[in-house]
Amino acid sequence: MSLRSGVQRTGSDAQGSEDGLEASAVYRLKTRSGIPRGRRSFVPSGLPWILPALVVVLGVIYYGIGYTGYISTLNWDGTSSNPKHVGLQNYQQALHDPVFWTAIRHTVFFFLVTFTVQTFLGFVAAALLHSRAWMKSVYRVLIFIPVVLAPAIMAPVFRQIFAADGQFNSLLRDIGLGALAQPWLAQPSTAMYVIMVATIWEWTGLNFILYYAAMRQIDNQVLEAARLDGAGNVALLRRIVWPLVRGTTMSLLVLSIIGAFKTFDIPWLISQGGPSYATEFLGTLIYRQTIPLAAVGYGAAISILLLIVAISLSVVVNLSRGSKGETRE
Amino acid sequence: MIETRTPLGRAVLQVLLTLIIIPFVLPLFAMVQGSLVGRGWGNYKTVLSVPHFTSFFSNSAIIAVVTIVIVYACTMTAAFGFAKLRIRGKEYYFWALIAALTLPEIVLLSPLFVTAVRLGAYGTLWAVIVPLAALQIPFTLLITRIFVDRIPDQLFEAARIDGAGVVRTFQSVLLPLTGPITATIVVLTLITAWNDYLLPLVFLPNPRNQTITLIPQYFIGQFNNDQTKVLAAAVITAIPEVLVYLCFQRWFERGLSAGGVMK
Repeated sequence: MSLRSGVQRTGSDAQGSEDGLEASAVYRLKTRSGIPRGRRSFVPSGLPWILPALVVVLGVIYYGIGYTGYISTLNWDGTSSNPKHVGLQNYQQALHDPVFWTAIRHTVFFFLVTFTVQTFLGFVAAALLHSRAWMKSVYRVLIFIPVVLAPAIMAPVFRQIFAADGQFNSLLRDIGLGALAQPWLAQPSTAMYVIMVATIWEWTGLNFILYYAAMRQIDNQVLEAARLDGAGNVALLRRIVWPLVRGTTMSLLVLSIIGAFKTFDIPWLISQGGPSYATEFLGTLIYRQTIPLAAVGYGAAISILLLIVAISLSVVVNLSRGSKGETRE
Repeated sequence: MIETRTPLGRAVLQVLLTLIIIPFVLPLFAMVQGSLVGRGWGNYKTVLSVPHFTSFFSNSAIIAVVTIVIVYACTMTAAFGFAKLRIRGKEYYFWALIAALTLPEIVLLSPLFVTAVRLGAYGTLWAVIVPLAALQIPFTLLITRIFVDRIPDQLFEAARIDGAGVVRTFQSVLLPLTGPITATIVVLTLITAWNDYLLPLVFLPNPRNQTITLIPQYFIGQFNNDQTKVLAAAVITAIPEVLVYLCFQRWFERGLSAGGVMK
């Protein structure tokens, strides 16, 4: 989906979502000012206009990153007035810390599972709601409500549902699967799945709404033609619809990768990263080191590592998406 | 998308749809059910009678409103500057601003903490508002600039020929045309600010200053881990969010899908 095609489709219902889909593509776009050369001098200077945004963003974010970089070279508890400089020792420690690598592995596994399930459910639900069904608007609202609710509010609910005496285990007993009932959050082997379930619950509505908007753009004649050629429902979805919403899938991919590295609220509030680091993510690791353990220098070093990973990933994804996007045009 | 020729086919489709939706509704049921265990509605009475319970909501509201105002002001002026005015090295500034698009807030944890303490902002709502706004602006600026770029230059030139100054052009030409993108900015910032957990957790140690996202944790302390009260508090907190969403459904869905890239 290029910027140009977006411009032509003005006033479309999905305008908001298109803005979002195009957003990262614009990274590479040099926007023309659109003003003829000779008249440039009449255009007033815009510097004062961008100043407030520059001050707020540079003042907080760039200052913050720079400061984090500095703190990462200290052995510091956050309060003592005389921190010791230790060079790159914190980084060395992080790279040799098994918990750091566990957190990275968890992030990758978490991303693969949540992205696959959310994409599948969102895609299928969007296709079903573009078909003839009753009470479509009710279903739409129900699947989207979780996106609006704060993860912090829902975390106690998921703790309750998956507790040893919680509703999930009683549901299993009611349907005759009582043998499967177990303390889901208390054992390292299952706690991660609870975190994934909570995340999928929270974010599938977003995948759904993006696919729903994308499918509205599909020309009905294309579908008719495929049907005349004898395509069944499943073949139609797989061979025609899925490739046509590829742009949306790529956006969701980027979003999920970024989201996986930002994960903090849900694992922290549901299981504090435990038991025995079974639900540790970079976010929970940084938080625990910085605030409860007061290893501020070490937390800052992991923050910088997270930043490097996040930036290189978005560059890689943007480059690969860019080259594919151009071949499509 | 899916063709159903027979009544049976339609029924199968409906069942399939319902099966997908049920898991999304169950936790909401579990939340309400759990909140009524034991003393029934009495749990709600206890929660509502906690002194300064409403201050959680007013704090969240203040944070959201002030953040929206800052984000809106910075975004609109900057989008105008980048899209329609002359700036030397424009794209470098723009790049610098939107490079922070995907920054996880946790990366800024220690510097913000140290700085807030030093400036005396620790424990005040400003310690949450300013970082929230700074993290939000890169994205709102990106989508707003795309929007303003699409407004024809002729409109601005005409205003200039008619003798309007830059400020007047901004007020009378740009602002009236930016309704849709304003709604997106407001919804996006509202959700981010209202649902944010990490910044209030770190910067607001005093319960009187805390936000709704800290309610569960406050009640776990207050009621000695009595789950029914915690769930009752969760229901009370969720209700306004759901109501506001239902009233502004279209804007929420647009705004959040635009914000998807950032989340």
